[in-house]
This record gives sequence, C-alpha cells and structure tokens, in this order.
Amino acid sequence: MDSIVLESVSKIFRHRPALFNWMGRERGGETRALDNISLTVGSGRVLVLLGPNGSGKTTTLKLVSTMLLPDAGHVLVEGADTRTRPNQVRKQVGFAIANERSFFPRLSARENLDFFAALDDVPRSSRAEWIQATLERTGLVEATDTLVMKFSSGMYQRLGIARALIKQPSILLLDEPTRSLDPAAANHFWNLVRELPEQGCTVMLATHSFSEAAAVGDSVAVLHRGALAASGRLSGDVEELRAFYFQATGEMDETMELVTRRW
Amino acid sequence: MKLAGLLDKMLAIARRDLLTAIRYRIGFLVGAAGALAELAAFYYLSRAVGPGFRPDGVEYFSFLLVGTGLYTFLVVGINAFLHIVQEAQQTGSLEVLMTTSTPAPVLVFLSAMSAFAGNTLQLLFYLGGGLLLAGSLPASPNIPGCIVIFGLSVVIAVAIGILAAALQLAIQKGSALVWLLGSGIWFMTGTLFPVTTLPKPLRLLADLIPITHSLKAMRLALLQGAGFFSLGTELVILALFSCVLLPMSLWIFSCALRRARLEGTLSFY
Repeated sequence: MDSIVLESVSKIFRHRPALFNWMGRERGGETRALDNISLTVGSGRVLVLLGPNGSGKTTTLKLVSTMLLPDAGHVLVEGADTRTRPNQVRKQVGFAIANERSFFPRLSARENLDFFAALDDVPRSSRAEWIQATLERTGLVEATDTLVMKFSSGMYQRLGIARALIKQPSILLLDEPTRSLDPAAANHFWNLVRELPEQGCTVMLATHSFSEAAAVGDSVAVLHRGALAASGRLSGDVEELRAFYFQATGEMDETMELVTRRW
Repeated sequence: MKLAGLLDKMLAIARRDLLTAIRYRIGFLVGAAGALAELAAFYYLSRAVGPGFRPDGVEYFSFLLVGTGLYTFLVVGINAFLHIVQEAQQTGSLEVLMTTSTPAPVLVFLSAMSAFAGNTLQLLFYLGGGLLLAGSLPASPNIPGCIVIFGLSVVIAVAIGILAAALQLAIQKGSALVWLLGSGIWFMTGTLFPVTTLPKPLRLLADLIPITHSLKAMRLALLQGAGFFSLGTELVILALFSCVLLPMSLWIFSCALRRARLEGTLSFY
C-alpha cells in the first residue's frame, strides 16, 4: 500500500500588493509552485526529492504535512485526504523543522520535547522514557537539560528531528536535515534514517546532496520549476544519480565541468 | 477529544508558560510594580475628586478599582490570543504547532486559557490590594453572582480574542481590533466614569459593547451585593453575547486558518 499519494497536485501562491501601493513597487501576480504533480511513496520506503532552489520540494513537504492545502488535486496520507481529514493526517506525520525560533528558547530540550509530545498525544505514562530514548537517538543526551537558547545551529537541527520523531510518526518529512550538521553528526543521522523504514516508517526527504540521496533513498523524484521532471528507483550509485538529475533538469553540471577543466 | 487528553495538553501549556515566566525573572517584578503604581494613581485620583462623587451610589475608588481591574483583565486576556498567534508567526512556531495532533482552535483556546489563569491571579492581587488600600471591604458581596458574571465575561473575552487571532491570521493585523478595544472604545464601557454621563448616541453604542455589561454587573454584585434577580437583565445580555460570539468566532477562526493554509500565509507577519 502507498503511504503518500499526490494526485495531479497544483499549488499556486498569489501575490496581492498592499492596498495603498503607490509608494512601493510591489506587483501582483502568482507563482505556480507545483504544477500537476503526481507521485506515490510506498509504505516503509524512502523517497528523495531533488531539485534546485525554488523547484517545489519544500512546498511538497508542506502539502503532505497539511501546513498547506493544494489548489487542485489531492494529497492522500495513509489513505486520508489532507483537505477533508487533516487531523487524521497530522497524527501520522512528523515534519522535522529545524528553525531555531520554532522552539521555546527558555525551555530545555527535554521541556520542549515534553510540550510537543503532549500536543501530539504521546501517552503521559511513557512520555519521559520516550523523550530520553529520542534524545539518545539524536545525540542530544548531554544537552537534555540545557535551555535551547544556548544551542548551536547543529543542535537545533537535531532537536528538530527529535521533535518530529517524538510522536513515533508513520511518515517522516525531512527538509535538508543535515544542513547544519558536522560530518560525524550527519553520518549518525543517516544511520538513524536508514533504521526508520525497518520500523515501518515512510520517509520523504528533500535534499541537494547527491551522495546522501544515493545512500539512503529507495527512489527519487526530480522537481524543476514546480513540475515533476523525472522519477525513478535509486541504485546507490552517486554518479548515476548526478547524471540522471542533470539530464532531467537540463541544467549544466558545473562541478563536473570544473573537475574536467582542472584535469 | 477526551477530557484527560485535553487536561494533559492544558497542563503542558500552563507549564510552558509558567517556566517561561519564571525564567524571565525581572518581567514578573516589573508587572507587579506596574499594578501597584496604577493602584496608587487611582487612589490619589479618587481622593482628588473627593468623597462627594459617588457614581452608581458607590465610593469612586471602589468604582475605579472594579472598572479598571476587570477591564484590564478582559483586554489583556483578549490580547493574549492575538499575542499567541502573532508571536508564533514571528518565531516560526505557528507552522510547527499547526502540524501537531492538536486541532488549531483547541491549541489557541488552551494557550489563551493559560494566559487567563495568570491574569486571574493578577486581578485578585489588584482587587485585594485595592480593597486593602481603601481600608474597607464590600459589606455583603454576592460572590456566586460575581463568579457567574466573571465566567460569562471570560467566555465573551475568549470569543473576541479568537476573533482577534483570526484577524491576525487573515491580515496579520489583529492588533487593530485590540487597539479599538484598548484605546478606541474604553471610555464608552464605564471603566473610569459612569456610562450615564455620555450623550445618548454614545450610550446606545456603549450598550452594544459586552464589556459595559460585565463592568456594570460586577459592580452591582461585588460592591452593592445585588441578588440574581436584580442582576437578571445584565446576566441575560452577557449570556446572549456569549452564545452568539463564541460559535461565530470559532467558525471565523477556522475559515481564516483554512484560507491561510490555502494561500501559504501561515507564517506571514
């Protein structure tokens, strides 16, 4: 069974200039963030979303999380439509957002997780134990009782992941999860992601890193200017994925060009 | 949603707010000092006006005490809804909170209830301190009546607060509604002087503001010991406002939230 289904999904952001706009240069119009996208993710699989900035990766994740609603088409999560059964969807989905200001700065890591766990209906009896286990899994155990306003950006990144995992979601959404992590922490994190499908968790991951995508993904969807440029299964070969990506987007692989020129 | 689950969420929110308030150590002290300064100002104002001025047959200081205490409590409570949404928009936590298993209206409601609980303590402190300063306690207050009036007033404040939160979600300017209440129409509610001194058109407008009825009823029950029969008209008006405003505000909030999700403006501010 497919855990996530996007059926002909379109998302448009409309720009409305201010009421009294004669002093500014703001213009109306719209941005078509996603255009008639259809894709599926099987249960317990890892789908990687690749694409340049502004291609629609984060919009896709936000649509699955119910943060956004589609203008056309349907987003189904474990069979529930995000439009008609958003509460059902939210119980299933964990979205790792690492924005440091999305935490409560004067609460510790444990207190932040405890707060979000309560909102996510994690049973009170097992909450403390589960929080401790999640902090251990994300490498934050030494910072358990540190106020999060003292955290580094890498620690915020880990706490964002811990927050998403705390409700034991059946679907995990990751938006560039290793952006602020050092290599060792990133490696630890990818090991954690690899374990999740074994526990029945479906993962949707937006990234720019070919090596990470090839290492953890089962399949890939390449987005370009809001459209699905290509999709396919992943073999684990980074160079193959790189070639697939640049062929799909029609962009020039400047890294390869640089390497060729140097040699 | 089960009651135990709701209570658990309520406790989590109250704990968050309490821990945050405690860790901003100076803020609590500044708030208490501000309330004391306000009490002193009203005390000396009533002395300057003199004992001859007895609005609605009660001492002016007691009149001011109930008026300013309850009005501030309600407006600060209404502001709490706005502040919760505004702060969450600015910090980026709104989007995260909206993806938890707790429905958004429940979340906003519980957060504001936590703020109301804190404000209730401040109100009791303010009224108690004021009555001690006045040196006389009300002779025979109708305490059950006060509780009913307080409860209905809170329901109305919650409804107006949810409307402010909806406005904040929709146009990022819910502060306009709170400003209107806080600065634009306060003088019509009978906070500092009786509504009867206003010209007739303003008196009619004042009757359309629920807080006017909250203040009038609270003064009758607390300072004059009016029974439920004497409070009847005001209680019916407050109950009507509650029954209309609460479902209406929840519906408007849900519409505003849906629109924000469609337009992608949840985190705009």
